[in-house]
Amino acid sequence: MGRIVEYYRAGSVEDAVATARRLGSSAAYVGGGVELVLRRNPEISTLIDLSQCGLGEILEVDDGIEVGSQVTLAAISRSTVLKHYAGGSLALWSGRIAQNNLRNMITVGGSIGRNQPWNDLVPHLIALDAEVRFFDGAQHRAPLVSYINAKRTGAVIEGVVLPSGNANAKGFMWRFTRTQQDVSLLHCSALIDAAGGVINKANIVFAGRPGHAALYPQLGQELTNGGSSQDLFEGLARSAVQAVEVETDHRATAEYRRDLVRAAIINLGDWMTGDAQ
Amino acid sequence: MKISMTINGTQCAMDVDPGDVLLDALRGAGYLEVKGSCHAGDCGACTVLVDGRPVASCLTLAARVDGHSVTTVRGIGDGTHPHPLQKAFVENGAAQCGYCIPGAIVSAKALLDENPEPTEDEVRLAMDANYCRCTGYEQQVEAVLDAAEQLRKEAHR
Repeated sequence: MGRIVEYYRAGSVEDAVATARRLGSSAAYVGGGVELVLRRNPEISTLIDLSQCGLGEILEVDDGIEVGSQVTLAAISRSTVLKHYAGGSLALWSGRIAQNNLRNMITVGGSIGRNQPWNDLVPHLIALDAEVRFFDGAQHRAPLVSYINAKRTGAVIEGVVLPSGNANAKGFMWRFTRTQQDVSLLHCSALIDAAGGVINKANIVFAGRPGHAALYPQLGQELTNGGSSQDLFEGLARSAVQAVEVETDHRATAEYRRDLVRAAIINLGDWMTGDAQ
Repeated sequence: MKISMTINGTQCAMDVDPGDVLLDALRGAGYLEVKGSCHAGDCGACTVLVDGRPVASCLTLAARVDGHSVTTVRGIGDGTHPHPLQKAFVENGAAQCGYCIPGAIVSAKALLDENPEPTEDEVRLAMDANYCRCTGYEQQVEAVLDAAEQLRKEAHR
């Protein structure tokens, strides 16, 4: 953020998009503002505030639960409906990632819009099959993975929809950090839909590799219909070490991250078989 | 740009730059009890309550708080009329150099307002933003639990 000369309070998403189009790359939407202030972009001179656009609610909708883009991590953690969705994993972890005074600031829209590779919310939303509702002059809805891959600019993220079909599945998150407030050296999120000892559906996502969040359908496929025995997860851990692309950065070596990939899957197995929480 | 907010119960108008953060706006207006340290949202020293919720004022855009309510540690209690939390911090030896205490107190206040009977784990989670390099945290956790008990006793009187 360079020298900000205007702070514009949009009255609607239509107003926000029109203003952003008029100003081009010199404008940025304000989610919680954390990333804007931390990583200042000298190109930006106007901030477009979305707090008066009616995007701050968590609502039960026909096909699931919609979480508005201005909803904070802390609000997610307090939400009764989200505590009952997919085993409550999103509510639980939204109350534990980052730190308390930031959890009241970091928003869903800001997390998706910025999509930093170390973000812990985005990979978990991908695992939960979240869809993004966004406005770019017209209303759209797209899977979160597609939305991120399309690298859209100028659109206002209105919210994410968590599909009702996953409400009774179980969400899982495992993240390895040096300290509680540190960003993840490796993040693993999963959604497992199992009944009678049979896994019907599994989404497995890794992030902080240090690359961005990525869904690994082949790993989910390996789990499907394979039961939940410890042997299955030992095999999956070997596959994951081969499949998940990890790299070395200033925080950890690729070799260390491969060990963390294995640990994440073993932990997922322990969680599935009831040996760990 | 002109903004206004209620600070510690008093309506306050300010003239800020659109990119100013709340920490600088508050200190510029004389609320020097709000401490800046890391300016990166890491240390928690600058924590204030916005509409009763703790935020890092060093990363909060002042313009975003226009029309909202802000509470600093001075709004919770002062030397003449200390809040039970502030008394408990003193009595439990939870303050040494004191620099982090304004942030720690407001985080604890937000917790006790929402949850009058927190567990030790809940206290630690609610104060996970507040670094303290003097006390080693144990006394601060004990102080918050002690204050919670005092406040419950006062409520039953």
